[in-house]
Amino acid sequence: MATVQVSEAEKVYVMHGVRDDLRVDGRGCEDYRHMEIETDVVSNTDGSAKVSLGHTDILVGIKAEIGKPRPMVPDEGYLEFFVDCSANATPEFEGRGGEELGVELSNTLYKVFNNRHSLDLRSLCICPGEHCWVLYVDVLLLQCDGNLFDAMSIAIKAALFNTRIPKVHISEDEEGVKEIELSDDPYDCMRLNVENVPCIVTLCKIAHRHVVDATLQEKACSVASLLISVTHKGMVTCVRKLGRGSLDPDSIFEMTETGKRVGKALHAPLMELLQKEESLGKKRQKVGFLA
Amino acid sequence: MLKSKTFVKKTRAGGVMKVVREHYLRDDIWCGSEVCTECKDGAPVLQQDARVESDLCAYPHYLIPDTNVVLHQIDILEDPLIRNVIILQTVLQEVRHRSPPVYKRIKDATHEKEKHFYTFTNEHHRQTFIEREQGESINDRNDRAIRVAAKWYTEHLNKAPSVGELKVVLLTNDRANRDKAEQNGLLAYRCEEYIKSLTGNPELVDRLALTSDDQNEITGSKLLFPEHLPLSRIQAGIKSGTFLQGTFRASRDNYLEATVFVQREGDDSTEVLLQGLQNLNRAVHQDVVAVELFPKEQWVAPSSVVLQDDRPSDKETEEEEAEKKLESPVLDPSRLKPTGRVVGIIKRNWRPFCGMLNQSQIKEATRHLFTPADRRIPRIRIETRQASTLVGQRIIVAIDGWPRNSRYPNGHFVRNLGGAGDKDTETEVLLLEHDVPHQPFSQAVLSFLPKMPWGITEEDLKVRADLRHLCVCSVDPPGCTDIDDALHCRELENGNLEVGVHIADVSHFIRPGNALDQEAASRGTTVYLCGKRIDMVPELLSSNLCSLRSNVERLAFSCIWEMNHKAEILNTRFTKSIINSKASLTYAEAQMRIDDASMNDDITKSLRGLNTLAKILKGQRIAKGALTLSSPEVRFHMDSETHDPIDLQTKELKDTNSMVEEFMLLANISVAQKIYEEFSECALLRKHPAPPPSNYDILIKAAKSRELEIRIDSAKALADSLNEAVLEDFPYFNTLLRILATRCMMQAVYFCSGMDSDFHHYGLASPIYTHFTSPIRRYSDIIVHRLLAVAINADSTYPDLMDKHKQSSLCNNLNYRHKMAQYAQRASVAFHTQLFFKNKGILNEEGFILFVRKNAIIILIPKFGLEGTVFFENNDKPGPRLNFDSEGPTLTVEDQHTFHIFDRVKVTISLDASNIQHQKIRMALVEPVIPGVSVALPEPEPEAKKLKLDR
Repeated sequence: MATVQVSEAEKVYVMHGVRDDLRVDGRGCEDYRHMEIETDVVSNTDGSAKVSLGHTDILVGIKAEIGKPRPMVPDEGYLEFFVDCSANATPEFEGRGGEELGVELSNTLYKVFNNRHSLDLRSLCICPGEHCWVLYVDVLLLQCDGNLFDAMSIAIKAALFNTRIPKVHISEDEEGVKEIELSDDPYDCMRLNVENVPCIVTLCKIAHRHVVDATLQEKACSVASLLISVTHKGMVTCVRKLGRGSLDPDSIFEMTETGKRVGKALHAPLMELLQKEESLGKKRQKVGFLA
Repeated sequence: MLKSKTFVKKTRAGGVMKVVREHYLRDDIWCGSEVCTECKDGAPVLQQDARVESDLCAYPHYLIPDTNVVLHQIDILEDPLIRNVIILQTVLQEVRHRSPPVYKRIKDATHEKEKHFYTFTNEHHRQTFIEREQGESINDRNDRAIRVAAKWYTEHLNKAPSVGELKVVLLTNDRANRDKAEQNGLLAYRCEEYIKSLTGNPELVDRLALTSDDQNEITGSKLLFPEHLPLSRIQAGIKSGTFLQGTFRASRDNYLEATVFVQREGDDSTEVLLQGLQNLNRAVHQDVVAVELFPKEQWVAPSSVVLQDDRPSDKETEEEEAEKKLESPVLDPSRLKPTGRVVGIIKRNWRPFCGMLNQSQIKEATRHLFTPADRRIPRIRIETRQASTLVGQRIIVAIDGWPRNSRYPNGHFVRNLGGAGDKDTETEVLLLEHDVPHQPFSQAVLSFLPKMPWGITEEDLKVRADLRHLCVCSVDPPGCTDIDDALHCRELENGNLEVGVHIADVSHFIRPGNALDQEAASRGTTVYLCGKRIDMVPELLSSNLCSLRSNVERLAFSCIWEMNHKAEILNTRFTKSIINSKASLTYAEAQMRIDDASMNDDITKSLRGLNTLAKILKGQRIAKGALTLSSPEVRFHMDSETHDPIDLQTKELKDTNSMVEEFMLLANISVAQKIYEEFSECALLRKHPAPPPSNYDILIKAAKSRELEIRIDSAKALADSLNEAVLEDFPYFNTLLRILATRCMMQAVYFCSGMDSDFHHYGLASPIYTHFTSPIRRYSDIIVHRLLAVAINADSTYPDLMDKHKQSSLCNNLNYRHKMAQYAQRASVAFHTQLFFKNKGILNEEGFILFVRKNAIIILIPKFGLEGTVFFENNDKPGPRLNFDSEGPTLTVEDQHTFHIFDRVKVTISLDASNIQHQKIRMALVEPVIPGVSVALPEPEPEAKKLKLDR
């Protein structure tokens, strides 16, 4: 992953600042950077969103395709994740450089999102045991400036909110041969309930305290961070430790509490924003990539 | 400005795909009106003074029809009266999607300058493009797009300074659409309303297609037919095998019977028999239908009754009686055919039909029945106010629909061809009915003709063999102007003979792929009618540059053999050449030269050589088992002024006919071998499949009735047994047998060698055959020329020539055109025969029974090569007792006389003009005398009178 070199003196400066709840860019320990969200940015997907957090830029596109349900859960659809680390983000990703990170990221996303607590997977089922919707979630890293997970999770939630799946009907003839029929009205589509979709909060342990939404510089000062996914009710759905260092149980507990608090607070404004954007309808001036 | 169009569609694999297309909007699309000053249109299409005499719109106006108006009323839009029409892109796209033929017609109309039709690309215009809204169906969206465009036009034209009273009128039959348009302040009318308001041209009203509103009024609400299933159910049924898909073929002889030809996977095909109006369920000849089979207990044999639907009105009772007649007791279970009923129509194949009007008996009625010339098409009900002028005229009518409660389909009048019985009209009718393209050649086609004066160039001399010194001559029927073959024969120094067949090099003039080539490929063949020829290629080529006339230098493709005196080929050579024919002879002239011992010039010697060789070749061919068949062919002597037939004689074959034929066969076989050798995958060949043995049943039965045996195990056996089947006291018997044998044969067809494995030509007893010798009048020969030219490195190839699938589809077209040309030819002969008998009154002739049917016998009159039917049943009086035995087959009438096949009978021949549409030759039995059935000899009086007049 993209890293920056930090000198010893800088490190001390950052650590001291964090101790006093004053970070290099003036934020407090539980503050996010400025965030921009736009949905419906890629017309040939079924749902898409672009999120920029500081200088981190993420684009998420969701394509719905008809597939076969997994044998263990015949009445549920599922999600597939693919993270593409574009060489745009950092030259290190050139060639196959970003592949390893991409796989790691997508595995994490899979753990966080593909379960029945975060999304009603039953609603993705078309015909039990035979057909279901598979949502292919493609995440594209356009620019890396730390805190990829948080930005990705917000972009995914926004994209899922934006997703419109065409309505299908199953028709059955006398012999029991089922056929999928498609409505010819492009507006006749299904929305997903994203209420329970979690957001990821990554907490970075710096000295004795921890910060959310760490910049690259801050990250370089930390030995370990904790990834927590939190739903709007404050329920923690997934916890992972990242980084080489270790965390003691006390600070894990502390960090979890912070993560819950921050995550819970994140959902309400996000949903409000998404709803507001949608209410603008077609009159909305699209910003896209040229902003 | 860029917009994107989004829609979802189902993929073939069963998935769902979202498709996004970019859609550009522009602001430089002109309105196309002469009035407008804002648009920078260089040549505006729509006129300033767009005035039509109309009660409704007295002001000048432009018309904007909606999709359904274009689809259903295309006949009206094509009328020269309708001008200044704006065709919106939305409409055009929908029309293309729903009906390609109508799309082609509306496109053609917009290309016509005098029509002033303007295509407005409203979908790409910044101000008229609209996006589909939530909850709006695609049709609603398109209707709205049309309204928006109409609104835009209204406002746009109003801005022009010289607009005057010019207005835009929307034509729509959709009530909701019209209401909304009126709310938007647009002028909108129903199509009928508008057309009826055109006071100057009331005849246009007749061409209005009947729309569903009107249909209900036509007959009572009694539903006569079962409902057709929707397409989705049909498709599901076909998939699961409960229904079968096939082409509907109505029977020519019996309007209550039809067959559906079902082609299943592989070569397995079956025919399903349909009987009765209910089961035919409104299918029309050539429709693609879905049928449901009946259980085996209900399978029947096809009835051999001849039934014609020519009652003046539709009375149900008669219908039922007629249907009862179909039920015949079946003795032989092997003759049973699967029966079924039509459950739905997959694709209508309606075309405009030629025919005549039966005027309704009620005066002032506007609804009349129309009887198509093709007996397989049901009568059509049309609405017209000019019935009195249309009676006795040949007209074209198009079918609009066939509602469940109507005994006949509804249609509308399209065009008047002219008076029935008139020679030009009748010729037009038979060309139209047989789908023979006969329009004059277009400018695009003519532009590919060589520039005149044309001459042989240095270039030609370099690449072609110069055969101008050879003594080449052509032998053709009299009056032939498209001479495509010429011959020569000379003795070589080594004592052998050199024989050359020179064929017009048409492929030199018609280059692959250009408009001329495409036109020729589509026409497929030249059609010869009595006194008229419909050329495949323009006359400049057919009668001049390609015609191998005498004493002019012409390009040829030559096939030259070295033969010994036993007519064995020692060496074959193909070359492009230049020839100079020394004489164009007729068969008779050539024969005279051969027979006249005093003539000893080069041409005559050449002819004698050819004649000798031809006789040997023919002998060899017959020994191999080639069939000599017979069909009575007649020639008319035409009056040079009126072109009416004045006399008729059966064609006579001379030695020279068969001489030319032999060498043509030889050339065709040699070329077939060569092109197959070079291009085993894409050679265009001709085959004649051996008929299935069951075809010969009638022939064997016929011979058996005279205690003769016909063997059919091989062509050779057949040929030999036909030769042996001679009756001393009945010299015409052998010819009759051969006529019958001809009817047992299959059609010879073109095919592509890569798509088939059976090449055999049964009739000629040749393992391989093609057509090479008549490129002026057959397109197949042009392709063969091209193949041969490539094979001898005389010309370059092109991709389509080597594509076996392309070639196979070309073959299909050629086969279809040839078949149709043949039918047209026969129809033309039949028509001229009628003309001939019209002037003759009643004749008394001797004939032979060719077929015996359940209620009729079919008689051949050898003198005129004429076939006719003697019916033993009449609609107006009770028929005699008939006893039909299918074993013989024999028919016993009134227990007195039994008719056998080939019986000699005497009949009177007269022209039955009671039905002008189907004027037919009526035959009535004179001998043997059966009281109540046969007629007395006609009094010689009318004949005598006529004779006097003639003198």
